[in-house]
Amino acid sequence: MTDISSQLPRLSRAAHAAHCKRCLSGLPASQTDVDASRLALGFYCIGSLDLLGLLESQVPSGEREDWRAWLWKQQARGKYGSGFRPSPLMTAQRLSHEESMEYTDYDTPHIIMTYTALLSLGILRDDFSKLDRPGLLKFLRSCQRADGSFSTVPGSNESDLRTLYCAFAISNMLNDWSGVDIPSAISFVATCRTHEGGYGQSTHCEAQGGTTYIAVASLSLASTWTGQAEYLTNTERDTTIRWLVQNHDKSGGFCGRTGKNADACYCFWCGAALKILGAGDLVDADALASFLARCQFKYGGIAKAPGESSDPYHTYLSLAALSMYPPRPEVAGAQAPSWRFEPLDPLLNAREDTALWVRIHVPEKAV
Amino acid sequence: MSTETPDDEPLYANRSDWKDIEPLEQYEDINPLAPIFYTEEYKDATSYFRAIVKSGEKSPRVLDLTESIIRQNPAHYSAWQYRYETLLALLPSTDVASSPILEAEVRLMDELAVLFLKTYQVWHHRRLLVSLTRQPKRELDFIKKGLEADAKNYHTWSYRQWLLGSFAGRGASVTDGVEDVDEDLWIGELDFVDSMLAQDVRNNSAWHHRFFVVWGCGVRDGDEDRERVLKRELIYAKQNISLAPSNPSAWNYIRGILSQTHTPFSVVADFALPYAHSRGAYHTKEIVDLENPPPTETAQLPCVQAMEFMADVWENEGGEEKTEQAVKMWTSLANEHDTIRKKYWEHRIRVAHLALRGQKKVA
Repeated sequence: MTDISSQLPRLSRAAHAAHCKRCLSGLPASQTDVDASRLALGFYCIGSLDLLGLLESQVPSGEREDWRAWLWKQQARGKYGSGFRPSPLMTAQRLSHEESMEYTDYDTPHIIMTYTALLSLGILRDDFSKLDRPGLLKFLRSCQRADGSFSTVPGSNESDLRTLYCAFAISNMLNDWSGVDIPSAISFVATCRTHEGGYGQSTHCEAQGGTTYIAVASLSLASTWTGQAEYLTNTERDTTIRWLVQNHDKSGGFCGRTGKNADACYCFWCGAALKILGAGDLVDADALASFLARCQFKYGGIAKAPGESSDPYHTYLSLAALSMYPPRPEVAGAQAPSWRFEPLDPLLNAREDTALWVRIHVPEKAV
Repeated sequence: MSTETPDDEPLYANRSDWKDIEPLEQYEDINPLAPIFYTEEYKDATSYFRAIVKSGEKSPRVLDLTESIIRQNPAHYSAWQYRYETLLALLPSTDVASSPILEAEVRLMDELAVLFLKTYQVWHHRRLLVSLTRQPKRELDFIKKGLEADAKNYHTWSYRQWLLGSFAGRGASVTDGVEDVDEDLWIGELDFVDSMLAQDVRNNSAWHHRFFVVWGCGVRDGDEDRERVLKRELIYAKQNISLAPSNPSAWNYIRGILSQTHTPFSVVADFALPYAHSRGAYHTKEIVDLENPPPTETAQLPCVQAMEFMADVWENEGGEEKTEQAVKMWTSLANEHDTIRKKYWEHRIRVAHLALRGQKKVA
């Protein structure tokens, strides 16, 4: 389609898998700021291995077993309901044997971590027999605020569209929406819409690719439950598509806001939003692959932009973007096999077979 | 990322003033997922923090401890949460806003905001503090300085919009049943946007903020005549476009205010047309039209955003002739001037042709 994509190099799948495995085995002290979101980082790593199709061949089953066990250890019960913590950063050694002990106000589950934990466990093909479903519904209720938005942890003032998406995605996985007030949440989403056609992170904020995905995916997830076909008017839909497409940068990547530089993660956020809106055919997949090819870091993993260093977040989202928008085989030439992916479910942000597993095993089983 | 503490700071384990506390180490399984190889300083401080949280102590030394943790890990939201509750416990019951403890906290936050500009928690803590100090004006000045370091920082702009919305917007905070709206806060906002755009006319955050101030959050004093405001804003955007035509932010602003006021795009057609053609292909009027500033001698033409805009105008007008004009524009965008969006422009052509067939059938 464009000259820049005429010769694709190889996608270094093994090196990207190695990057994620390294992170799973340990992080240097310079990444101490991940302490309060370790579970999310774990999801990006495990998710990357899943998208690459290398999880089972590269990770011994015993190790996967350990990961599952660790993930379940982060499920915590208490007065606000049940969910997952980011890590044991607030869990003390001497209390560890008291498994049944309830969490304190400073060690509660976190809604974003809960979403990533459920996906990670789905990737690891857990049967979810340990999931406290009534507790999880209670936790969602504890997080929803008067304005319809959701807080990261119960009672916090930290709330934005990200957490709302997590609440909707969890409800979709549970196939039970009794934990959320849908109409008030949808009104909150509407207050985040901007004059450009994208959505900001919160009311009055500038349109941004990540939160536009969040908004579009949330509305679509709600539709699957309420049966209401469309929460957007045709004009609103067209304006959002136009804005998303406008972020398709000459470099082949997507930028997150009008006039900013392309960043690998927005290939997923904007690309997935377009897919959900039924406009995936407007993306120049060859150019996208050529941009992501240049974001590959020489020591493995994918970076936000060419010349930067890689991290699991950009690696996962780049691979997820490629799962939706693989380059045409004739463009990849001899390297075509390295660019092949299984299809992705853009609503839950997981491989289709993983999303299917989650939707079968997370809901309450009929007795 | 700053993970070090100054060398002259002893570990809490070695400090006599912390002797009464028995630290609680973090519990990790034998095989944890993505363990972090913490520094001794971080392990030390967080072990004491777990113990403090368990005992429920809220004293000045807790402020010192949580500051140490936050400096090593600004995303440690439990440390922030406990710090805020400790602060509340230490504040006097009256004259909260002028308390020295609160003032010191605000000063510390001024420093940490610059160090950890991209951390959510820094900004959430700030929101809690300004709800106590009730001094939003000081915050607007602080943000202005912050944006000098990073003119497009999302958190900083969001904080400004939150401040104005919370203290001076519709349904602003209610104190003792009386709505406490500080309209004065808005006074400097348009000048502020001007100064930001003077530094970088392509700063989309500034354009977004302008939309928020003029259209997105109530009506400013003196702006009651909306037709006059629309005219003023169109001229503002057009003048900026004449200086830098290929500026999607300014064009999006025009699109946004036309949609907001239900004004047809065609009212801007006279302005957009000369920008949508190559130089020489279109003769600009001899008379200087202040409302429709023409492209400068050095402007790069045609401008993609103007081409798109004119195609939209023609598509809306409908009919065979106008539709074909629009299609010509889209074809030129797809094949020459904006090839990354080739598929999008071809999609627009298909949709327009379908609509035209529909119009013919009705006729």
